[in-house]
Amino acid sequence: MSDIAHAGTDGGHDHSPRGWRRWAYSTNHKDIGTLYIILALIAAIVGGGMSMLIRLELTEPGIQFIEDFQFYNMVVTAHGFVMVFFVVMPALIGGFGNWFVPLMIGTPDMAFPRMNNISFWLLAAGLVLLVTSTFIGGGAGTGWTVNPPLSNADFHPGMAVDFGILALHLAGASSILGAINFITTILNMRAPGMTLHRMPLFVWSMLVTAFLLLLAIPVLAGALTMLLTDRNFGTAFFDPSAGGDPIFWQHLFWFFGHPEVYIMVMPAFGVISQIVSTFSKKPIFGYLGMAYAMIAIGFVGFIVWAHHMYTVGFNVETRSYFIIATMVIAVPTGVKIFSWLATMWGGSIDFKTPMLYAMGFIFLFVVGGVTGITLSNAGVDQAFHDTYFVVAHFHYVLSIATIFAIYAGLYYWIGKMSGRQYSEAQGRVQFWITFVGVNVLFFPQHFLGMAGMPRRIPDYPDAFAGWNMVSSIGAAITLLGALLFLWILFRTVTAGARVGGNPWGESATTLEWTVPSPAPFHTHEVLPEVGELQPAE
Amino acid sequence: MGMDHARSSRGGTRRQNNGARRTKLTAYALVGLIAGMGALVAAAEPMYRAFCQVTGFGGTTRIADQLKPAAPVDIAAAGYVTVRFDANTNANLPWRFRPVQNELRVRVGEQVLAHFEATNLSGRTIAGTATFNVTPYKTARYFNKIECFCFTEQVLGPGETAQMPVTFFVDREILKDAGAKGESTITLSYTFFADKDQSAAREAEAEQRAGNHGLAHSDAKRYPASPGKLKI
Repeated sequence: MSDIAHAGTDGGHDHSPRGWRRWAYSTNHKDIGTLYIILALIAAIVGGGMSMLIRLELTEPGIQFIEDFQFYNMVVTAHGFVMVFFVVMPALIGGFGNWFVPLMIGTPDMAFPRMNNISFWLLAAGLVLLVTSTFIGGGAGTGWTVNPPLSNADFHPGMAVDFGILALHLAGASSILGAINFITTILNMRAPGMTLHRMPLFVWSMLVTAFLLLLAIPVLAGALTMLLTDRNFGTAFFDPSAGGDPIFWQHLFWFFGHPEVYIMVMPAFGVISQIVSTFSKKPIFGYLGMAYAMIAIGFVGFIVWAHHMYTVGFNVETRSYFIIATMVIAVPTGVKIFSWLATMWGGSIDFKTPMLYAMGFIFLFVVGGVTGITLSNAGVDQAFHDTYFVVAHFHYVLSIATIFAIYAGLYYWIGKMSGRQYSEAQGRVQFWITFVGVNVLFFPQHFLGMAGMPRRIPDYPDAFAGWNMVSSIGAAITLLGALLFLWILFRTVTAGARVGGNPWGESATTLEWTVPSPAPFHTHEVLPEVGELQPAE
Repeated sequence: MGMDHARSSRGGTRRQNNGARRTKLTAYALVGLIAGMGALVAAAEPMYRAFCQVTGFGGTTRIADQLKPAAPVDIAAAGYVTVRFDANTNANLPWRFRPVQNELRVRVGEQVLAHFEATNLSGRTIAGTATFNVTPYKTARYFNKIECFCFTEQVLGPGETAQMPVTFFVDREILKDAGAKGESTITLSYTFFADKDQSAAREAEAEQRAGNHGLAHSDAKRYPASPGKLKI
């Protein structure tokens, strides 16, 4: 293995590849991280544009401009896939993970740099396949859960679903290779003195995330393969007419799908922990509790999947188990929330933009977490299943909370990545626009859901008109925030003020702040010696 | 700290080699983990099938070889349930399928014979298979079929009508299940689908064309335990 690692970083100090080769053939963790972030930004424009189409159509009752309902189904489906697999995961895991895991644990690069390269390009190919599928025969209008029989050859006879399946296969392969890389790097390549219990919480979050990926993605891949053979080769895993069972798909999908939601939010926990500590000028409260809470969440996340399927007709004992197991997740999650609050408590808090976003994340995650506890009750869920209450819930935790973590991370690390600092005033304005926008966008959807408005339908009765209009106005405000962010990002990398190695002061204790900004092509070639970084209590 | 320095300066090469080996080991272990999860998914389909059969999950009925040996009959505990019969036909199958009796009042633990009737409305021979389930789901694990037309595929010639029997009993254990014993009505539901593989139908057609009254013959061969099936 060492020869592979060696080949990747060969050439010593003064050599770095130039031009397109630097990016296409890259084995450098920072360049690959940057590629992931660029891919996530492009995908965010695609997926975000789709969400704007959805909100435009839903602004008023009746059909505004989407005459073809399969097109609406396709947009809803593609929005979900793009946001989950090609925005949140690449930004948090591929982007921040690649950039900062090696920097934070004090190692020159990832364990398998060339595998890192193939991880990224598999994902890029997956995105191309997914976008292609939207142009084939009306696209895949299955929803991101791809439930048969809707996704089988009777109801989606074209190639669109097959393209979508292969896109997810590629994204999954990319994630698995990435996960092997992260775990191997974190377990074996820490700098001297960097014990597991001294690792920054962001590294902990990436370690847990990588294990979740390893255990969950093969299940998705297996289920997708069964669906593919059902569609094309006459098997009947999910076809009741030949002895299969569509509920079997739901079990497989959600066995992957529930850990997947933690895969998305776990790295966000890590980013928020670093930022809260830095800007409260205190070490994180309850460091070990924070690390083991993530492990606990990851573990319990694998045994609660059926709470997504309360309406398929479980007996009361099964439902009781899944209710209790689901509610148990609130305990380690509570440990994290209260530890963040305790870190801020009595701290000399500096309300810079990353900190504003971190506090926004905590607020949004608590709101979405509380509605999650509501929905974990099987009795309540029977009423709320497939309504906008569910849409509001999972957008609070998965969409806007993780997007806040991405914004927070980009503001926090943009100086390290680009060598230039954003404008603090612009950043704060952008935060407040976005914070108001997302809440106006998603909070009214709780009311719509409780009133019974179903998901995934392009029209609704007049009774729902008011809050839908408010929600669409919120979407416009959020869009304004996103456009302002793109402007800030552009201005920062082209004309931002030059920034030193550590712009945040001595409370930024992690190792990435010990190297110059922008981080040079090669870092930690002399391994740093690590003492008590984070007091491990 | 001093120890660390000494190690990194003098034992550098050795540590690098150890590191490379550990890295390799970790990677192999992780690949093994992935393979393990892959094996679990590959085994998921038979495991799910077995799970459904054992627990009655999703209304999956049980299959019994014979009536359970009669336990000492406790007259006070002996209960009755109403079993309702429901018959559906998939839109792609041009058959008429209906229960001969709409419901039966059944003594728990007693073997019962019920009949369904299917007619092929089309002008060609078609093979079909019936899927089944029982509601409420919690009663399914106590619903035992001894013989059923749904165990095998059925072939009906043009215009042919056939009686389709099912022999079943409701297990006495249901009376001990706090959740299920209050149920007074169990619905047994069937849905007939056209088989994707119509080779049995083609075979039957060919035999009939050969003029050896092949249908009755081949049916008898295929369903030896379906005495109730009549040819009209």
